[in-house]
Amino acid sequence: MKQPFKMRKPVLIKLKRASIKGEMVLFQPIWVRIFHWGFAASLTVILLTGLELHKPANFLILNYGKVLTAHLVFGWFALGFVALRIADALIQRDNSLIPKIHDLKRLPKLMAYYFFLRPAPPPSRKYNSGQLLIYFSWFLLFLVASLLGLVSYWQGKHLIWLWHLVGGFQVLRWIKFTITIYFLATIPVHIYLSSTEDISRLQAMVTGYERKPPNNS
Amino acid sequence: MLSRRDFLKLVIKGAIMGNFCELIAPSLAQSVVAGEVKKLPVVMIETGTCTGDSISLDNIWTPTFSDILSNIVDWRYDWSMMQTQGASAYKVLQETYEKMPNEYILIVQGSMIQRDNGHYNHVVFDNGKLITGLELVRRMGLKAKYVVAIGSCATFGGPVAGYPNPTQATGVQNILPERRVINVSGCPAHPDWIMGTLLHLALYGEPELEKFGRPKLFYAETVHNRCPRRRDYDQGIFATDIGQKQCLFRVGCKGPVTYADCPIRRWNDHLNWPIGCNTPCIGCTEPGYPDLMSPFTAHLPDIPFPGGTKVSTDAIGLGVLGLTSVALVGHAATALYNGRLQKNLLKASVKAPNRPSVKKVKTIHQYKLKKNMK
Ligand code: HEM
Ligand code: SF4
Repeated sequence: MKQPFKMRKPVLIKLKRASIKGEMVLFQPIWVRIFHWGFAASLTVILLTGLELHKPANFLILNYGKVLTAHLVFGWFALGFVALRIADALIQRDNSLIPKIHDLKRLPKLMAYYFFLRPAPPPSRKYNSGQLLIYFSWFLLFLVASLLGLVSYWQGKHLIWLWHLVGGFQVLRWIKFTITIYFLATIPVHIYLSSTEDISRLQAMVTGYERKPPNNS
Repeated sequence: MLSRRDFLKLVIKGAIMGNFCELIAPSLAQSVVAGEVKKLPVVMIETGTCTGDSISLDNIWTPTFSDILSNIVDWRYDWSMMQTQGASAYKVLQETYEKMPNEYILIVQGSMIQRDNGHYNHVVFDNGKLITGLELVRRMGLKAKYVVAIGSCATFGGPVAGYPNPTQATGVQNILPERRVINVSGCPAHPDWIMGTLLHLALYGEPELEKFGRPKLFYAETVHNRCPRRRDYDQGIFATDIGQKQCLFRVGCKGPVTYADCPIRRWNDHLNWPIGCNTPCIGCTEPGYPDLMSPFTAHLPDIPFPGGTKVSTDAIGLGVLGLTSVALVGHAATALYNGRLQKNLLKASVKAPNRPSVKKVKTIHQYKLKKNMK
């Protein structure tokens, strides 16, 4: 109370000491959390404005120029957050988001679990194989969509090779629309599973910490 | 002689006033008479085409196309315009080929039919032998000074190459990779675009080309950027049906993805243009037209499925989202029913005997331990 600005660390220490049967472990470092929520917010704006750009809703009567501006600005924000996450991963040598062969070998068992054919999921690294697939595909598709966004932003001034590669503006829009639908279909799965599988992982994305379960329970 | 700078000015002025050819013809005719510019030898080969570009070209007004033919260019071979026919017509073509290599301009109108070595498209009779369009365009193209493809078909395949493209039609550039083809696209190409490009070739050589080989003179800017209804678009005021006066984006206008100067140049002697009469731009100057632009009244193209049905992009999108929702609700219900949901939630909230409880410190949003209670 006397020195409120110094509270943070003591609180954590006390929290750790207080939990006799559980140990506090850092599960999500600060930069991962910043990335996660920043990116999630930006992507939400991108997806919604993208849909509005795709097919303006008559009942909204939004100013179109402003919708495009919002789309672009949050596109840059999202790219910034991704850059942060990549930098963090490089510095921390964190490869938790990169799927490996032995992760993917466990996918059938994991799927069996999700389809109620197995009582428990197979063991995994920080993220299980399904999560790895979704996160990694998001990462790739986000970069593809952003690159295509830049192509239409520059209107043939730069990145002409990409314009040729995709074969014109209509195809480009079509790809971006498809990617948007993919995001919109997988994000609910992500939210659903993270709030029903192990909700302590969800709070770890806010606090950063998880309590190790007491032994033998 | 007209300087290039003045020429470029006339391109714009002619577009706005609707009299490009009228502006440009007199000084050109003078240059030709004075011998500053040679009359351009031009041959036009028609392959897989509807001859729409010839009709469009014919629509030049004061001076008429015939004025141009007699005073400015040496229009040597063109099915639609020639007086002669048969062997004597072919002789003109052969003469041009043999006596004027690297001098004549080859204009191609129509797509290149590739199926079965092009034998669905015979264009001339050479000593009792039928010559395909494919062969003739390659032969003439390799010796031409410039190769100009006019119309959507010759540039990118156009309607002839539309799904499922039974004749394997394609644009001229694809069968003439050795040469740089100047693409004057459009369905049909505007007479000013064709004439302007030809005149630029005659006076100053090759014009600056944009990403798909089209002269920047005419194709540098999207329709959308210069559209008089752009204000509606920016404010989100959209027509809900074709025929209304607002921006036509919602009824499928392809102006945002189409490069052409129609909004200022307009059509039929500057009389009107599609958006001017309340129908959306259909994107006829772009590669992939018409498949990528159809249905003309929808924003994105329909997706063809095996069996010949086409489904709209939006329907697929909604379908995918619907399936996801159904799957999630189903999963949640099952998990609730067989107890997995409850098990998972309980597992994540182990009650430790010394569960730390926290209370909020009022002034700042941080947490402080309560007295540790047994
Ligand atoms: C995950 C990332 C992104 C997604 C999912 C996305 C999605 C979309 C969608 C659905 C549209 C509407 C396309 C249509 O007409 O149907 C759109 C348009 C557009 N986006 Fe993005 N976008 C992303 C990132 C970006 C970025 C980073 C930029 C720019 C730096 C950008 C620039 C644009 C532009 C300029 C348009 C307008 C294109 C037009 O005129 O039709 N986008 N985007
Ligand atoms: S009518 Fe078409 S070209 Fe004109 S502003 Fe609307 S979308 Fe753009």
